[in-house]
Amino acid sequence: MYVNRRQLLIAGGGIGAATLVGCSSQGGDAPAPQTTGGAPKKGGTLRVGALGRAGAITRDPHGTQSNESDYLVLSLVFDTLTVPAGKPNTAPRLAASWESAPDLKTWRFKIAPGALFHDGSPVTAADVVWSLRRLRNTKSGASRLPGIQADNITADGDATVVLVSDYPNAELPLLTRLSSFVLKKDTPDGALDKAPGTGPFKLDWYRNGNARLVRNEKWYGGEVLLDAVEITMFETAQAMSNAILAGQIDLASNVGPVAARIAETRKDLRVVRRPNDMAMPIVMRAKDGPFADPRVREALRLVVDRDAMVKQVLSGYGTVANDIMGTGDPHYARDIPQRTRNLARAGQLLAEANFDLGRTYDLITTEDIAGLAESATLFANHAREAGIRINVVKQESGKFWDETWQKGTLYTTYWGTNDSVLFLGSKLMVGDAGQNEAQFADPAFDDAYRRAVGAADEAGRAAALVDVQKIQHERSGYLLWGMADGIDVATAKVQGLPTLAGYGRVQLQSTWLR
Amino acid sequence: MSTPATSTDTAAARRRYARRALPLLPAALFLGAALAGPRLAPHTIDAPVTATYATAGDGALLGGDQLGRDVWSRLLHGGGELIGCAFLIGAAVTATAALLGCLAVLRPRAGRVLERTADVAILLPSVLGIMLVALAWPDGGRWAVITAAIVLGIPFAVRVVAAAAAPLAAAGYVEAALMRGESSLSITVRELLPNLRGTVTALFGLRFVEAVYIISTAAFLQIGPQPPEADWALMIRENAPGILLNPWAVLAPSAAVALLAITVNLATSAPAPAPRR
Amino acid sequence: MAALTSGAPAAGSTDPAPAGPPAPPRVGADRARRAGRVALRVGAVLLRRALVLAALLAVVFAAVEILPGDAATASAERGDSAAAIAARREHLGLDRPLWERFTDWMTALPTGDLGTSARGEKVADLLRDPFPNTLALAGAAFALTIAASLALGCLAAARPGRRTDRVIGHTATTAFAIPDFVLATGLVLVLSLWTGWLPAVTVADASGKPAEWTMMIMPVLALAVPQTGWNTRIVRGALADQAGAPHVEAARLDGLSTTRVLLRHALPGALPVIATGIATSTGMLLGGAVVVETLFNYPGIGTVLAGAVAGRDTTLIAGSVALAGAAITLVLLAADLVRAKTAGAGR
Repeated sequence: MYVNRRQLLIAGGGIGAATLVGCSSQGGDAPAPQTTGGAPKKGGTLRVGALGRAGAITRDPHGTQSNESDYLVLSLVFDTLTVPAGKPNTAPRLAASWESAPDLKTWRFKIAPGALFHDGSPVTAADVVWSLRRLRNTKSGASRLPGIQADNITADGDATVVLVSDYPNAELPLLTRLSSFVLKKDTPDGALDKAPGTGPFKLDWYRNGNARLVRNEKWYGGEVLLDAVEITMFETAQAMSNAILAGQIDLASNVGPVAARIAETRKDLRVVRRPNDMAMPIVMRAKDGPFADPRVREALRLVVDRDAMVKQVLSGYGTVANDIMGTGDPHYARDIPQRTRNLARAGQLLAEANFDLGRTYDLITTEDIAGLAESATLFANHAREAGIRINVVKQESGKFWDETWQKGTLYTTYWGTNDSVLFLGSKLMVGDAGQNEAQFADPAFDDAYRRAVGAADEAGRAAALVDVQKIQHERSGYLLWGMADGIDVATAKVQGLPTLAGYGRVQLQSTWLR
Repeated sequence: MSTPATSTDTAAARRRYARRALPLLPAALFLGAALAGPRLAPHTIDAPVTATYATAGDGALLGGDQLGRDVWSRLLHGGGELIGCAFLIGAAVTATAALLGCLAVLRPRAGRVLERTADVAILLPSVLGIMLVALAWPDGGRWAVITAAIVLGIPFAVRVVAAAAAPLAAAGYVEAALMRGESSLSITVRELLPNLRGTVTALFGLRFVEAVYIISTAAFLQIGPQPPEADWALMIRENAPGILLNPWAVLAPSAAVALLAITVNLATSAPAPAPRR
Repeated sequence: MAALTSGAPAAGSTDPAPAGPPAPPRVGADRARRAGRVALRVGAVLLRRALVLAALLAVVFAAVEILPGDAATASAERGDSAAAIAARREHLGLDRPLWERFTDWMTALPTGDLGTSARGEKVADLLRDPFPNTLALAGAAFALTIAASLALGCLAAARPGRRTDRVIGHTATTAFAIPDFVLATGLVLVLSLWTGWLPAVTVADASGKPAEWTMMIMPVLALAVPQTGWNTRIVRGALADQAGAPHVEAARLDGLSTTRVLLRHALPGALPVIATGIATSTGMLLGGAVVVETLFNYPGIGTVLAGAVAGRDTTLIAGSVALAGAAITLVLLAADLVRAKTAGAGR
């Protein structure tokens, strides 16, 4: 029930710019902000509820953010170089454009013309360089700007910033989407709470996680319609749900499926579904142990009843997945046939692999996010129907991350950035990946990954991407049964809400009130 | 009851006996039902049979819970362990506190030590204490809650017993017994406890109900019984977000907890000496 | 036996008024000496309570220490290297011995410094707004509890064994057996979501306090109802025990009215037990605040504490407990006074 530490990982921007990067669209086309109420109108105060914990409050834009409420405040007051989008998955913000050298190592970002800090001073390359270096030099800097040394972030004139990666990286701009907040050069640590940003809103006041922001009349990114945004921090989704049902807030951010079902019975409330928000795969250790044989892993993937999982665990607010991580990627391979339940085939595979059906296998899970433990319980039911005995063990979060994560043989995990197959591949599946949850090592996969990330031409890249996904579908350590929608609930008067998954939901600059 | 009374005297005695036993009846019935419940349940506790938070009817008497499991079946399964744990906690706390409380007033030095310990424990909000114990002992499950509830409940109960026993200890017959050099234990058992019956039985009733409260609150904080167990306290917590969708998923276990408290209270206050003649 | 409560009149001052007009200087010296003795006694009581508080904090500090994981891992990000975690541990001072950190923390306490949280924030800053909010909430609930439980307990005791007594008894038991979160959920459902009478959650304004006073009503009720149930039982039980006392019997045989016997003869004797019972329930009140504040999104230390335990934030937990403990200590001191006065200052 508490927002705990790992929740922020997905939730908070914690896990590096890239993890939080969450934008995607199910159909592949760019999701337009949803609008039903006629021509956009100026004015009004939007009252937003967001999850957060009093003890985890942080005002440092480059700090470890575990509160969605704080991240919301930061991303409305400050700008990142790029932001999550639909197709392609990265859109300009403070960087108006970017280009790479042919080697895919050197990237040049051009600062948006007319960008001003809230105190009226113009944004220069020096400010951006200082901010990115500050980000890179934080304790988690290496995972937020992977492959980019602080010394390799430089200014070229007043309006261009140059980033040089240690290795070719076709997806480098994606890394600056979520935590590359730009502050004025030499902002002292003690003045972060009042530091001027460049974003669509200026800070009016902030206290204990709650805040009020007012419109930035001079925002370079276009006209901002709302007069003000009031943000209230909620410890639990249930309290936030009650607040919107009672009319105390206008938008409940990331409030979950139960609130959505209640809201659907009411005319004055609207549910915003943001597909591909959260992956909750089951990890099967590939290196050794009972699931080392790829046939066993495939059998488990055939055992799960995906439709039932989506219906029961996600209350229907989600989509069936195909064991490939990164379902929101514009290049997601939709033509790989959907795996469905096939107990006969599963039994056959298990027999071929001499899988021991006499044993009981522990499936370890946590209650970090809603539905995770339930998914384990239901999967155990499905497996039992196939003769596999699975015992669900719920671990306390701290213990889970210390003892089970990356080490266990069968456990649940979750990821909140799902719009890049390559990003997840680099993080989780290449042989030397820093967070290889299943200890999966497959030379063919590594090769396909390198071809994709180093390909300068679109065609070669697309072909390699298909290979990456085929191998994942066939033999990775993941059983990805479905994708949860991100769910916001809003009052009927709120228009132009973002429909992007993950942290795309904080983009309230074009929201307006009817 | 069917045999005619042979004399008015025995009939009156029987009636008196019946009146005395009557308050025990609801508790007995309720406990019996809770223990027999699992046999009567139409479904298993972990199989989804309907939509999540489905409303009552449609094959599920009280609707579905947060995973679409049958609320009625889970309700029938969910009482046994809660009752057992609460009973264990109530009994352990009451028995220990009764002895320690009397000891505290009879032996001033021991009394001071107990008093100081109690002082410390009383400053620790029980909810926090339970969180600490359960987090320090993550695999403890129910036993972590039971241990924490007993340890944290005793100091409070000791003070209640001591406060009630203090006037008695000053009484002549207790002082006389002390002079005679009788052991504290024997004075406690022979002289003090009989006079504290009201306090002690009421204390057990309170501690039992308090134990129900603590177990439920712990379950709310995700401590103690773990899913997919069917436990009333756990059911209330798990289904609270969906109370507007299927109120029974929360109201039914809440009512069960309340009924449990009332019937046990009725039973424990029954044998207490009636204040009037 | 009969002697035990005869000296009980609660309001009576134990200091005999100086008889006659003795020489002024002597009276002054007497008074000064007596005042000194009283001050000494009060000081001793305060010191004792302070020591108790320190002991509690030591226990909490040690308990948090044996929790699996520590603040360094708890504030880690997924994928942080072991080296990064070790660096953070060093930065937070977690590599120093437990007793050293505890001593540092304790010695800084009197200056109002509650230490630094696992995330590098000043604990005193984190609790500055929440603590008064919780005091307001718990204080209101406590006052309501005392008034209601005394009234209900006396009402029940006035008609022992009758219907009023039984109804109050069972209602009280039910009230405190229903966990606060069930009650809170029910209150929100009925008073807010169905009827729209009250705001469902607390929203704080720029001052850090609830934006409207009506936001306090449901949290206060959710806290006070179970407490009232509990304390009504205590009041009723203490009065029942007193009902058998000889001087109460005597008063009743004298033909005094039930109310008079109850209020003038039984209640004073029962006060020590009542005071103890009610005072010790403040701990439960503050414990309940953890749950109730979380549910109503009330900006108090309960919410901070709940998050701090999940985050293994030792100093933040200890800071919250120190403040809560100080508040409870004051209530216990008040109960000590009541006991000392009514029970004839036995020790």
